[in-house]
Amino acid sequence: MEAFWGTLQNSFERVFIVDDRWTLLARGLGLTLLITLLAALLGLVLGFLIAIVRSTHDKMTGLKPVPRAVLNLFNGIAKLYLTVIRGTPVVVQLMIIYFVVFGAVNISKVLVAVIAFGINSGAYVAEIVRSGIMSIERGQMEAGRSLGFSYAQTMVRVILPQAFKNVLPSLGNEIIVLLKETSVSGYIALEDLAKGGDIIRSVTYMAFMPLIVVALVYLTVVIFLSHLVTRLERRLRASDH
Amino acid sequence: MTIDDRNPQNESMQSENILIRVKDLEKRFGDLTALSEVNIDIHRGEVVVIIGPSGSGKSTFLRALNMLEDPTAGAVYFNGVNLADLSVNINIHRQKMGMVFQHFNLFPHMTILKNMTAAPIALLKKSRAEAEADAMRLLTRVGLAEKAHEYPAMLSGGQKQRVAIVRALAMNPDVMLFDEPTSALDPEMVGEVLEVMRDLAREGMTMVIVTHEMGFAREVGSRIVFMDEGRIVEEAAPEVFFTTPRRERIAQFLRKIL
Repeated sequence: MEAFWGTLQNSFERVFIVDDRWTLLARGLGLTLLITLLAALLGLVLGFLIAIVRSTHDKMTGLKPVPRAVLNLFNGIAKLYLTVIRGTPVVVQLMIIYFVVFGAVNISKVLVAVIAFGINSGAYVAEIVRSGIMSIERGQMEAGRSLGFSYAQTMVRVILPQAFKNVLPSLGNEIIVLLKETSVSGYIALEDLAKGGDIIRSVTYMAFMPLIVVALVYLTVVIFLSHLVTRLERRLRASDH
Repeated sequence: MTIDDRNPQNESMQSENILIRVKDLEKRFGDLTALSEVNIDIHRGEVVVIIGPSGSGKSTFLRALNMLEDPTAGAVYFNGVNLADLSVNINIHRQKMGMVFQHFNLFPHMTILKNMTAAPIALLKKSRAEAEADAMRLLTRVGLAEKAHEYPAMLSGGQKQRVAIVRALAMNPDVMLFDEPTSALDPEMVGEVLEVMRDLAREGMTMVIVTHEMGFAREVGSRIVFMDEGRIVEEAAPEVFFTTPRRERIAQFLRKIL
């Protein structure tokens, strides 16, 4: 038993204390959180826009020919985007954006990661939000329109707040998935949390402790995020009683 | 809209005090014809009650009046403007056409007060204080002032429908459209909603009502419109309509329902 604790203490020192290796994980966590936060924001904006285009295309009637044609075009672009993004792995998208799209440009790798993960997340957010919009009874739109609100006003004041509330658990889940997916940032040589653990593993030749600690840190963040989502849900449920 | 189909309408409507003129209205859903050759004039202050068997097109007709169903042909002139014309800004005209739905359609994420003030503040540019004062006055009128800060989920069906009516009234409309306003209610709540509608009629509000409440139709209606298979089959004053139906189809319907 004594020997076991001795070994554990010894490896803890080698993994975290020597050369201040713990800072790799600390800085890695910071980067992971930064990429997740910015990518989530980009994903939400993109996702809401796409969802509104898609559901407007499906539900809106009584349009003049030109707006209808524009809407059809945007809807086509949105569908293509959803198919391509959801049909390919995020790590491949990340590498394409870094090495191909921005291959010839000197651009911050963090920005590339934010763009790649944001565009990826946007596709999933779009489908979540669209299902939320579709789940709102038709009567809500009709009631808004019958009062004289425009389609856009009714969307913003009546439909989206309710849709958002309905899909909040799924959106929370999507952000959690996004956080975990950023762990492939190492493919473009970003030193995020996962990469930090991997670097420690490779220099210390010790796999167990750095990787388990990395896993525990991800788990802690995820539990914290889930807790936040639950609290927000409870607040938004005020009108249901 | 071409000039020659607008001007004559304008002139005749002003002289005859017609609020809504429906001309050759048609609505198709694919192969199905929901409305055809519907023509009717609705005068200010009139209470037009539309009845007919289910699937006869009465709800579609009502919803076509404010373009919730866009007609495939024909025109609906409201205050002289053809709403079926796509170049008309329908939102402006809908402000003057209150609508009450079978399923209330209150906004569940807003308090009752917010339900009633959102449109007047945003569209009529009323101040919040003014809109709230107006809303409270209306709520008091239907006996629901104490519910102002509740959410719709806390209200009974009858209460929700009364709120829905005053929400529409808060826009100060020229006409109120009712789409089976009591059909989704428990029987004991029908009376309270009809009472509010009766008051409105008494005050001279122009109303178009789709309903199955024959007693109410007879008592409050200034005209009964009977629809069948997407057409207006009969229009008559209530006393004539109910006592001496001129067509076998109507007599048959009345036997079934009364």
